[in-house]
Amino acid sequence: MTREEDSSPRRRSLLFLARFAVLLVVFYFLVAWRPVNDAAIVPFTAGIARVSAAILSVLGEDVTVSGTEIRSPRFAVNIENGCNGVETALLFGAAVLAFPAPWKRRLLGLAAGFAAIQIINLLRVVSLFWVGAHRPALFTASHTVLWQSIVVLCGVLLFLVWATREQRARAAVTSASDGDGPRRRR
Amino acid sequence: MARAAAAEPPRPRLRLDGAAAARLAAGFALGLAFWFAFSAPYERAVAAGAQALTRLVERPATTSLAASEGEFRLDRSDFPADSPRPGLPAADLHFNFVLLAALFALTPRPLQGANLARFGAAAAILYGVHVAALCAQIQSLYATSLGPWSEAHYGAVSRNLWAGAFHFYQVAGRFAAPFVLWWGLSRFELGAAKKG
Repeated sequence: MTREEDSSPRRRSLLFLARFAVLLVVFYFLVAWRPVNDAAIVPFTAGIARVSAAILSVLGEDVTVSGTEIRSPRFAVNIENGCNGVETALLFGAAVLAFPAPWKRRLLGLAAGFAAIQIINLLRVVSLFWVGAHRPALFTASHTVLWQSIVVLCGVLLFLVWATREQRARAAVTSASDGDGPRRRR
Repeated sequence: MARAAAAEPPRPRLRLDGAAAARLAAGFALGLAFWFAFSAPYERAVAAGAQALTRLVERPATTSLAASEGEFRLDRSDFPADSPRPGLPAADLHFNFVLLAALFALTPRPLQGANLARFGAAAAILYGVHVAALCAQIQSLYATSLGPWSEAHYGAVSRNLWAGAFHFYQVAGRFAAPFVLWWGLSRFELGAAKKG
């Protein structure tokens, strides 16, 4: 057992939050830095616009894409930071990296979580475009409150699922080593 | 350290099962209904808090804020009478209350008195976060959007500081705040129990 695992739940919780806050600030500076934004975030957001437009076309919408903008004769939307899932990915990434776990499982968790967040975000972009085109009165509330909250909640839930599995794996290892090996003095 | 661990009563386990999903959905729906019902008075309270805080550091105190129609309307006594007054979108600032309500509902036994008290404390802190974020947004606007006036009153460091502070809130802070408050104030252990 590590020293952190021996400590009280309150102390573990505060240590996690301290690491989470530091990582979140570091990640924020990384994505807010203009070279990273221009070279990675904007092209990534344009990719989201293209995939969303492809899905909307399959659903029968007459859409075209220009950069990060999706346009149809009825409605147009520009996907900006905050709508590309990156903010939820930052939150999820900071939480996974702040949680005590082996690096391999952290990296696997990051990859799986990022993919899941992007799938949920695609659902958001596609459904918001559809709402904007067919139920424009509902667009603002759906965009600002509903979908932002849902995507972030999904990010938190993904982290909780990963962290619970991680706890379970650690408990299994601890239990196996307690049963097989020489007993440790507490 | 070991003594602290022994002194603390055991925390309930948060199991991510159907009951947890139902609690989360109910908390989200209730939080959303509450948010829609009380947004207007809440925005007035946030505007009053941010105005008081902003005026505290202003010499002379010139800023006034009013909340109406989903916006914080910003005014200064030294603005020209015929110039338009900026409106700052309000929902973006405080919709994260819905996240806080959903997360606290996810906690085991959410309606227990102690859990409700923790939720109340978290909501009060979140109000402080909203006031601070609105102050940062006002300073960011003053520092970067009023042309020569901004350059005359704010140096390069303070321009970047205020713009960066509010941008951090927009990109990460508003989503992280409910999670941090929930994780820090509520009492639970993640679901997996150690065997043996």
